[in-house]
Amino acid sequence: MTADFDEFRATVRAWCAEHVPADWRRQQTGASDEEFVRFQKTWFAKLHSAGYAVPHWPREWGGGLSVPEQIVLYQELAAHDAPRLVLAFVGIHHAASTLLAAGTEEQRRRHLPAILDGEIWVQGFSEPEAGSDLASLRTSARRVGDSYIVNGQKLWASGGMHADWCLLLARTDPDAPKRKGISYFLLDMTTPGVEVRPIRNAIGDSHFCEIFLNDVQIPAANLVGAENAGWQVAQATLGAERGMTMLELAERLGNAGFRWLVQGCPLDDPIVLDRLAQFETEITGLRGLAREVVERTEHRTAGPADASIVKLYYSELLQRMTDFGSEIGGLAAHTQLTKPMSSGWESGAWVLDFIGSWEWTIPGGSSEIQRTIIAERGLGLPREPSVV
Amino acid sequence: MILDLSADAKEYGKQALRAFEAAGGDQLVQQAEAKPDLRETLAGPVLSELGAWELDPRTDADGLEAAAALCRSAGYWALPYPVAERLAKPTDLDVDGLIVVADNRPSGVVVGLGSEWAAVSLDGARSRVVGQGAAGPGFVAELELSAIDGNAAADIALGLVLPCWTLLGMLDRAIELTVAHVSLRKQFGQPLSSFQGVQFQLTDAEVERSGLDVLAKYALWSIGADRPEAVDDALALRMSAIEAAEIVFRVCHQLHGAVGFCDETTLSWLSRYSQPLRRLPSGLSATRDLLARRAGGHGLTGLYA
Repeated sequence: MTADFDEFRATVRAWCAEHVPADWRRQQTGASDEEFVRFQKTWFAKLHSAGYAVPHWPREWGGGLSVPEQIVLYQELAAHDAPRLVLAFVGIHHAASTLLAAGTEEQRRRHLPAILDGEIWVQGFSEPEAGSDLASLRTSARRVGDSYIVNGQKLWASGGMHADWCLLLARTDPDAPKRKGISYFLLDMTTPGVEVRPIRNAIGDSHFCEIFLNDVQIPAANLVGAENAGWQVAQATLGAERGMTMLELAERLGNAGFRWLVQGCPLDDPIVLDRLAQFETEITGLRGLAREVVERTEHRTAGPADASIVKLYYSELLQRMTDFGSEIGGLAAHTQLTKPMSSGWESGAWVLDFIGSWEWTIPGGSSEIQRTIIAERGLGLPREPSVV
Repeated sequence: MILDLSADAKEYGKQALRAFEAAGGDQLVQQAEAKPDLRETLAGPVLSELGAWELDPRTDADGLEAAAALCRSAGYWALPYPVAERLAKPTDLDVDGLIVVADNRPSGVVVGLGSEWAAVSLDGARSRVVGQGAAGPGFVAELELSAIDGNAAADIALGLVLPCWTLLGMLDRAIELTVAHVSLRKQFGQPLSSFQGVQFQLTDAEVERSGLDVLAKYALWSIGADRPEAVDDALALRMSAIEAAEIVFRVCHQLHGAVGFCDETTLSWLSRYSQPLRRLPSGLSATRDLLARRAGGHGLTGLYA
């Protein structure tokens, strides 16, 4: 693809050179929540005006780049160390792919343009008793006339305090088998009865939240897909966008991430060089894997465990790399407890990056769940005994 | 060679565990984080009642073992007080405790305390702490030093080994908490502990913790027996302690899931307050490097010499 896309690459490169703010890392270090939100929205608008914010969406909704063009775009954004779309992430990926795959025309018209105008989304899936075993979720939605009345509690809703809308899974049939009684809703976060509580975590940060839902009324028009078919909607749309987002992350790790690591390393030490060579090899493997998943997904030849392999590979590599970064950084790294907001998972503030890397081996299907998927669906091994 | 603590030392450790619990247990570190100036008030009385400051780890074998057991119990509760550093105090200087420091940015967990400290660098230079920098996370502050002398081999070994016992106590607790969590937490209709993938991770952590446990006793014996290689043994212990802590905390966090990073769980506090012990005076690479340079030519004497 390289020759065919040279021109596009040159265009993106020129755009990045002109538009990526040179000092964004400094500006975003220690920035307030308001500054972070403002910066994210401005950067999103800038990308969108160039056609780069939602390249994976269909053309009629404002996207329309081909898969090879998207690959080039993410490579160049990573190479230029552009800020990441952290705040818009759930909206442009999860919400959009759900609406495009299973939403009504009215829902798409209501939300896709709004996402382009800066509407922020949060995912309301996990619950205190439903983490890895998501299908056992208990938040209930009871149909009353043209609405559903929702009660329950959602956990680990990253960025919940900034969200305008929530992708919500709730149980509509308590008597059905657990995966067959769940429905998928779009919830306006300003609805009475919605309460968001930030959770303070081990590094004193509060970006994930609990959402309490007390008699929250959701119009029936905000149901996505059929009633009780929410699990299938979630399954169909969760994996769909994983390929390209993983490719973006792999490119980030290989570009800025590896550069920060090399810059901080004593390069006259043969042991350090050895480790760097190992990381470089693994990153190259990761980039290849991510690229393969994207291409296989496009050609509809992706295997059932491909996305799990990439997630597992990325998350554990990220954890090792950030750990090595904090080891190499010495005491200075351990006392640097601010990282530029809007950066990726490898900001170069290695201690915070290392702690942040746990968001990869636990949520979104923990490493244990990924291994189970790879074993059962990829290798065809039997299910673990006594698992219901 | 003695690779176990005496019955008296073990009993003392148990008493200390109960005393720390009665004094506030897990609440102590939370209260101290909110107000570091309270560290002495929160932990001082219970330590005095336990007779901590009458222990003599430098000349009395029983005192050395009791000191180690006390540090382990303090670690179990993440007691917000530098028990190991206080117990390691040199007898020939008029100070309250001893901190082993790196040459670069010497630091210690001294925030909020009024104690007088001596410091010893890893190459044996002793100094007096005459000032401290801004308070950082984990009660850590950079130290301003004034040189005393260079006569400190015994100080280094004891000053390195006792904090490893504190860290060991933290690992004891982290594993205990995680066993409890996976036994209680149900997913897919059964406790997490019934999944072999979960069990194997915990067993790997326990193997690491056990290895550290025996090395901690060996390094302690090496000091008590006045072995010439006690500093090498102390560095080997420190290296092993950091490695074990990485694995144990990694497994414990993974098995706790996201909740383990929330301050609602004790693991989050333990993990945070294990950091100074794991990073100061030197992290894994620097410790390994120092040990390799010291012992590289002749190797460690080891358990079977």
